[in-house]
Amino acid sequence: MPKSQFMDPDVLRKPGFIEFEPIPVNQYNKTIKEESKNFSKDDFLRIYRDMAIIREFEQMLLDIKTKSEYQGIAYNNPGPAHLSLGQEASAVGQAYLLDKNDYIFGSHRSHGEILAKGLSCIHKLDDKELLADMEGFFDGRTYKVVEGKEKDKGNVKDLAIDFLLYGALAEIFARETGFNKGLGGSMHAFFTPFGIYPNNAIVGGSATIAMGASMFKRINGKPGVVVSNVGDASMGRGPVWEALNMGAMDQITQLWEEGYNKGLPIIFNFFNNLYGMGGQTMGETMAYNFLARVGAGVSPTQLHAERVDGYNPLAVIDAMRRKLDIIHTQGGPVLMDTLTYRMTGHSPSDASTYRTKEEVDKWAEHDVLVNYEKKLVDAKVAKADDFAAMREDIRERMKKIVTLAIDDSVSPRMDLVKNPNIIADLMFSNEKVAKMEDRTPDVLIPKEENPRVQKIAKKERFGFDKNGKPVSKNKVYQLRDGLFEAIIDKFYEDPTLVAYGEDNRDWGGAYAVYQGLTESLPYHRFFNSPISESAIAGSAVGYAMSGGRVIAEIMYCDFIGCCGDEIFNQLAKWQSMSAGVLKMPVIIRVSVGSKYGAQHSQDWSSMCAHVPGLKVVFPVTPYDAKGIMNSALNGTDPVIVFESQRIYDVGEQFHEGGVPEGYYEVEIGEPDIKKEGKDLTILTIGATLYRALDAAKELEEKYGISCEVIDARTIVPFNYEKVLESVKKTGRIVLASDACTRGSALNTIAQNITEMAFDYLDAPPVVVGAQNWITPCHELETAFFPQKDWIIDAIHEKILPLPGYTATHNFTETEQIRTNKKGV
Amino acid sequence: MATPVIMPRQGQSVESCIIAKWHKQKGDQVNVGDQLFTYETDKATFDEEATVAGTLLEIFFEEGDDVECLLNVCVIGEAGEDASQFRPAGEAEEAAPQAEAAPVAEAAAPAAAPVAVSDVAKDNQFISPRAKARAEKLGVDIRFAEGSGPKGRVIERDVEALAQSGVAFTKAAQAEAAGSADKFEGTGIGGRVTTGDLKRPVAEAVAEAMNAQEGVAYTDVPLTNIRKVISKAMHNSLSSTAQLTLNTSFDATEIMAYRKKLKANAEKLGLGNITLNDIVLYAVSRTLLNHQDLNANMLDDKMRIFNHVNLGVAVDTPRGLMVPNIFCAELKTLSEISAETKELASACQGGTISPDLLNGGSFTVTNLGSFGIESFTPVLNAPQTGILGVDTIVQRAKEVNGEIVYYPAMGLSLTFDHRAVDGAPAAKFLQELKTNLENFSVLLAK
Repeated sequence: MPKSQFMDPDVLRKPGFIEFEPIPVNQYNKTIKEESKNFSKDDFLRIYRDMAIIREFEQMLLDIKTKSEYQGIAYNNPGPAHLSLGQEASAVGQAYLLDKNDYIFGSHRSHGEILAKGLSCIHKLDDKELLADMEGFFDGRTYKVVEGKEKDKGNVKDLAIDFLLYGALAEIFARETGFNKGLGGSMHAFFTPFGIYPNNAIVGGSATIAMGASMFKRINGKPGVVVSNVGDASMGRGPVWEALNMGAMDQITQLWEEGYNKGLPIIFNFFNNLYGMGGQTMGETMAYNFLARVGAGVSPTQLHAERVDGYNPLAVIDAMRRKLDIIHTQGGPVLMDTLTYRMTGHSPSDASTYRTKEEVDKWAEHDVLVNYEKKLVDAKVAKADDFAAMREDIRERMKKIVTLAIDDSVSPRMDLVKNPNIIADLMFSNEKVAKMEDRTPDVLIPKEENPRVQKIAKKERFGFDKNGKPVSKNKVYQLRDGLFEAIIDKFYEDPTLVAYGEDNRDWGGAYAVYQGLTESLPYHRFFNSPISESAIAGSAVGYAMSGGRVIAEIMYCDFIGCCGDEIFNQLAKWQSMSAGVLKMPVIIRVSVGSKYGAQHSQDWSSMCAHVPGLKVVFPVTPYDAKGIMNSALNGTDPVIVFESQRIYDVGEQFHEGGVPEGYYEVEIGEPDIKKEGKDLTILTIGATLYRALDAAKELEEKYGISCEVIDARTIVPFNYEKVLESVKKTGRIVLASDACTRGSALNTIAQNITEMAFDYLDAPPVVVGAQNWITPCHELETAFFPQKDWIIDAIHEKILPLPGYTATHNFTETEQIRTNKKGV
Repeated sequence: MATPVIMPRQGQSVESCIIAKWHKQKGDQVNVGDQLFTYETDKATFDEEATVAGTLLEIFFEEGDDVECLLNVCVIGEAGEDASQFRPAGEAEEAAPQAEAAPVAEAAAPAAAPVAVSDVAKDNQFISPRAKARAEKLGVDIRFAEGSGPKGRVIERDVEALAQSGVAFTKAAQAEAAGSADKFEGTGIGGRVTTGDLKRPVAEAVAEAMNAQEGVAYTDVPLTNIRKVISKAMHNSLSSTAQLTLNTSFDATEIMAYRKKLKANAEKLGLGNITLNDIVLYAVSRTLLNHQDLNANMLDDKMRIFNHVNLGVAVDTPRGLMVPNIFCAELKTLSEISAETKELASACQGGTISPDLLNGGSFTVTNLGSFGIESFTPVLNAPQTGILGVDTIVQRAKEVNGEIVYYPAMGLSLTFDHRAVDGAPAAKFLQELKTNLENFSVLLAK
């Protein structure tokens, strides 16, 4: 919504045509002789060697999967193996020009890509760098297994190839010496020192993440390009389209500042093997006919789309050379449709019911290794014997690697009996890092000159005046100010911090948390995203795993449904799936609505709490909002920050002296006693706190029951000590939140309290959540969300019958059974 | 460590047992193997032996109490240890329904008349863990708490209220009052009930009961049909026959040993449920055919001599006495007789007994031994000519080789119809039965 861009009807209403440039299809047509200018004999042969290594690696896995042996070595691998036999030329061709600063992200079928990229890096790196990378990785744990076992003794590159093959295979076999200690496995093996970033078992999952990584490179001025390697069938997934669009969004070239206004350095490469499992993309499941066509629909650059013959390594290298040049000169993104073919099934259990033997045989005639060898022999670059010797050498090497990778004494699995907490300890990194990089943050004005900062300076930082009267909304320091203060402080501290989401810039966020931020920050640090929740969350994952810090905003909690994969499968998992190699300093700000009906008023904090790997917080006072946001921003873990739209304007009512101006942290995981009492505890999550306080007041005034009100503040992690202490004192507890009761995190808390304080309880803990319905319109909301009188009713019916009290809501056991029976 | 002793469950169908005798008193030293108490089911008597040594710390039930199986009966431990934690929760509850149903006049009887029973915790009274802990701390007897929580649950405030109202006990008084359903007035510190206070309620109870008499002193209860039938049958029996009773006793050493063996090997043999009464039934079935006038019905002008022993078993049911029959009992094994007896009893108690099984009996056995009856006059189940009463076991002395030895003597009371049988033949039947029971293993071998 920049005012600088004028939407002129005189122009926009003019007739005309949108014109497209022709999209090249397999245009490469050079002979070996012509290519001799670009490749030495060694280069030609190394390309063959790399393809042959991939071929042997995948054949070895196929033998193990289907025959439980390889070269006479018996082994059973129960894990997955999505093999890329037939796709070797595509992988090697792509990697040939890439170095360690270039990142590749892959799919479930990426063994070949990992090896090709690794081999390319090994060729380019000098011995010193290679040794440092190997020795430095997990304190040399992987390196020690292969150290000194290279065939050509003392040859570091030879050793590094052993290291690469071993690290990948040990990972596939779930060994602790693998690249990710066995926590990634076949579909998630990667090795960041060589620029090999996570592969992804979610189809198309890498597209948004890779786009985020390319944002990191552009915004922070890092060298290298990013390649998103996904399959042709992933073009059927919304997040992939979101990534293409957001990666190519106009503002980058039109609005971002000088130095940052070149298109993102990303190649959206699709290894087009014509099938998504068995679904034939061309002719059956997709509409594009040629995948490369899609580029023309995304942006005026047509994403420089092209179909490349992925069965010829030289054609792919040629294309990569041209595409890298485009990225370096004009900027990306680039779309590549790399045609290839997988000779084996989707997985070893695939019966190939969807294609004929004739088709497979025909592609076998085009076999990349056979044909490439023939061309080189014909061109007299090398003799057939040279290739045979190379293959024999590779088989010998592969036998050595397999022997090591299946040997439990050198390649053990994680010992979860001896060390039961290994994985638990990897779920969060729990570090405190004030800034992800040490340089001056790029800002537009000094913080003191920021209009919002100046406005806040005039506000009352406590909600009540000297006489105990509430300060008016206009004068009081509000919850949104607490969030803003923490965020703007971090923007002036951490140069990598970026924030984006829908309507963030100019508008200041739908609920004015970001109001005033536009004035301080350049576009490339603070911008409006397309309405693409998958791309927002997914790019944040990629940005963070590349080394940056992000605040991504999901405007309504309900929209988490649009980015379920990115939050639950990607954001939550990469720290632990990388065995701690990757950090994930991502804040997802989520606004919980009310007043807007079934699709805009849900509290899904419980849903987020259910998925391991996410920290989930829900601050509801200005003091907590600033303190928790500070903690989240200073940490290295993904934190989902829930904010309630009911209370953005609430003043601080609890923290004496009001919200401090300086920096402070509220530790994530610590509930807070908002009101002390002795007869009954009310624990709340979210804005329900204020209704609970009203209930406490009535219970105290009318029935003489002194209530202790505790605000959970955080759902994951959660320290029970304070709550248990309270329950042991009062003997009674009601738990309330606006989340639907069924599956609410409150039930988990109630269960734990029951287990740990049973002997102190005078009644079972009672959960008061929202109805298991759709959220109705605002006028009917009091029948849906827990209200003050619900809490009192529940106490009366289930905990402590109140003299003379008549419940108005049905909290009887019969009702509980009835509603559950009906599923409501 | 204090160890509770439970009332064993003598077979699946046994819900409770009566404590026949305490062989040890509270405070006695107990060794492993010592007899603690004798208890009875409706059919048999058992001895409970100590499996741990120590001091008998606490006895929760008196002789004659009907104790639910698996409840703690007493506690053995080191002297001075607190055994109160083992006190069965429902111990005092028995008193409640009894008191409500008992005629008010009887309420004046000392000790049997609990006061203010409505204050006593009711059946299935739930108590919150916190209320329990609080009661323990305050020394309040939680059985007196009036539950004000959801579903009548006793919650913390009820305990507080109880403490406020003065019903708190000193430790000593609490121990002493345990098992009593009485309500006491505390005169100790903070209104606590002291041991001294425990003595007061009897006089108060009498006074209260006397006062109550000013209102209604009795209750008229209409007879149930079954009671009418029994009444008619009993009167008919006594008015139309010439019945008299012979009493004897036999040395029960062998059948008790036999019973003990079955019990000890219950798991292996699956015969753990066989009771002393079953053994008597078996012996009767094997003896009776030699005395055909007692296996008969006396009809107006004829005697109906039965070819088989259709053995009636008197069963006490909530609705009244019932006598189902074990047909052809002489052809059935002890195990079969035992099983059938239980089935019949349970069918009678459950009201599902087939009327066919209630007619056609040739002789009846009735057992009051479990109630400690030493001898009685069973009333003939007319037109049958004989009925055998089984009595309790008492220790008797006899001279063996010049020494006085004690042996368990089980009484037998045979009522017969002198119109059908003379005294001597009836006595001969008893004699043979006695021999068979004293040499039970020989009988089994026949």
